[in-house]
Amino acid sequence: MRSVGLCVVLAWLVPASALAQDAQPEQASRLWIVAGGASATLRGHCRDCGANFPFRHAGAILGNAGYRVNSRMDVGADLLWLQWQNDSGRIRATSIDAVAQFRPWESKGFFVKGGAGMAFVHNFVRTLGPNPDTSKALSVVIGGGWEFNPKGRLGLQLFAMQHVGALGDLQTTNGQVSEVTANFWSVGAAIVVR
Amino acid sequence: MEATGRISNPRHSVGAMRFFPVLLLAGVLLLGASRPAVAQEETAPPPDDQSPAQAADVKDPRRACDGCPPRRIGTSLLQATGINVIYGLANLARGQVTARITPASWWENMQQGWVWDLDDFTVNQMGHPYQGSNYFNAGRANGLSFYESAAVTAFGSATWEFFGETNHASLNDFINTTLGGITLGEMFHRVGWLIRDTHAAGKRRLWSEIGATALDPITGLNRFASGDSSRVSDKPSDLVPSSVRGVASAGVLWRGTQSSAFTGVGDPFLEMDAYYGDTNTGRSRTPYDAFWLRMRFGGGSAFSEARVRGRLYGQPVAKGLQFSVVQTYNYQKNDAYETGSQAIDAAIGTTRKLSSRTDFWILGWGGLTVLGAVDSLPLGLTKRPEEQASTTDKQGVSEGPRYYDYGPGSDFGTLARFTHDGHDVVLLFYVGRQIYSLDGVRANHFLQHARVDLLFPLHGRIGLGTSGEFFHRSSYYQDAAQTINTYHYPQLRAYLTWKSR
Repeated sequence: MRSVGLCVVLAWLVPASALAQDAQPEQASRLWIVAGGASATLRGHCRDCGANFPFRHAGAILGNAGYRVNSRMDVGADLLWLQWQNDSGRIRATSIDAVAQFRPWESKGFFVKGGAGMAFVHNFVRTLGPNPDTSKALSVVIGGGWEFNPKGRLGLQLFAMQHVGALGDLQTTNGQVSEVTANFWSVGAAIVVR
Repeated sequence: MEATGRISNPRHSVGAMRFFPVLLLAGVLLLGASRPAVAQEETAPPPDDQSPAQAADVKDPRRACDGCPPRRIGTSLLQATGINVIYGLANLARGQVTARITPASWWENMQQGWVWDLDDFTVNQMGHPYQGSNYFNAGRANGLSFYESAAVTAFGSATWEFFGETNHASLNDFINTTLGGITLGEMFHRVGWLIRDTHAAGKRRLWSEIGATALDPITGLNRFASGDSSRVSDKPSDLVPSSVRGVASAGVLWRGTQSSAFTGVGDPFLEMDAYYGDTNTGRSRTPYDAFWLRMRFGGGSAFSEARVRGRLYGQPVAKGLQFSVVQTYNYQKNDAYETGSQAIDAAIGTTRKLSSRTDFWILGWGGLTVLGAVDSLPLGLTKRPEEQASTTDKQGVSEGPRYYDYGPGSDFGTLARFTHDGHDVVLLFYVGRQIYSLDGVRANHFLQHARVDLLFPLHGRIGLGTSGEFFHRSSYYQDAAQTINTYHYPQLRAYLTWKSR
């Protein structure tokens, strides 16, 4: 709930300055920066695990830094960081992806985003068996949202994203755990600087 | 047993009747091109590198040029959805249980998120990229740019994975469908426009449109539905290549083994190379204005090689060097390995004049493999077990085991060519590919392929060639014993070549 509250606060704080600006195109830089917070939900999966993994919830930090290709497209790096506590300790996940963000309609704020990179999932499978701590994973991200004041230097976006960390087959002292994936769904808000 | 019961069950006949409206919906979605413009869709932006003269000819504000399709974002998304409906119905007609989707299966898939799947190599590495090419061309057929169509491909792929089948959304399918679909889709789209003769009329025109539709069905259907297939216009300027040439090689190859350099039995093969545009020169911001396609049939298996290298970005740099960013689709099957991958490479090349009659061109590249697949056996097995008859055959559910691994990786290589009087006389090729297996047996697979070709022009377009190749594979397993498995073998070829003008 705290993270949802944080998102709401962000959503209300930023537009006061961002939306007040003229929507006319400005002499924007090529820089693209996004920083915000989200409420995230995680669920793990592995092929032959008997356990039906529960949904876990946590606050998350999300950021982008990159290059504005044109008025409708940005490319850069995407960072998602979250951590939460369970019975076996603190679990931490970081996804770093190369992403492209695209607005199909130039006059509207709707955008889609997608990319791929690496995820680092700390202590994710300790409950399945001791040994793997930090596990590197293939990361893929898809999502979308709405950006307010997309033509200005400062804006706000509301987003819904799905990150997946595909850890694959892990060897533990209890044996192999097959095809482990971690899915992260996040809903939040972020400040956009161009 | 279940399949028999399903066919004889009258409830399913009723069920089949219920699919008629769905089929109708799919038809309407696919033929949606002929409907009036959606009000909220915007005027088309000019295509890349479009000349002002052509822009002046535009009459329909939704068309970026006279020969361009109208820009319709909503229709492209509807058609991508229609493609999913068609594939779903086809799976249903084949009796696949995974096609029996319900809102409950959609919700379950959304709750589960992405997983890995156990499907066949061919389905995952070829079937899904082809399906992705349909989504991509739903974008291109509706006037969307390359990158916009890439987003449509991801949309079509993601919606298929979550809503098109009852099994969980597959991450490897999503990547293969999206990236492979972009590569194959743009290639098919451009070759379709190459075939299409937009200044012709009558039967000649009809057959050129039908031929293009076979390669790029969505663009073709839209053109037939809208009447563009019979309207005389110029082709979109960004879809006209600076040059096109092709080389076909047919002959015999002899594969060696790890213990014996040569075997007596030769296998026939046919190899085709197509060069669309000039990948080696020029400033380019138009994706795939130049690409290279190679396909090989025979030589040990029915289909043994497919490579597409499409240029995304080209820029001359200092001292006659040419820098490029390319997107690649790779499939290769030989005795050392079977692999398929989607990669993005950076390449740098240069052409040097060695004499008034001899030129030398060299290209080097390196890049990241987003997702690669490579055949692999579990440690302890030396031979793939005989396939067991599965109770789920034709049901669309793959239960494994799967004898190949998935993972990201890297690739690098070089290609060099000596040309004498305009004829290629020596070709040198090397590629190294590393795949870090995430899903499957944990290992680093390192695959290498080196090849030297000597070519002799005989008469006109006919030539004679011979080549020597070497395939090498090392798999470094991450087991307690740190097992390393290697396999290598040489290969010789003799062939005749035919090249287009």
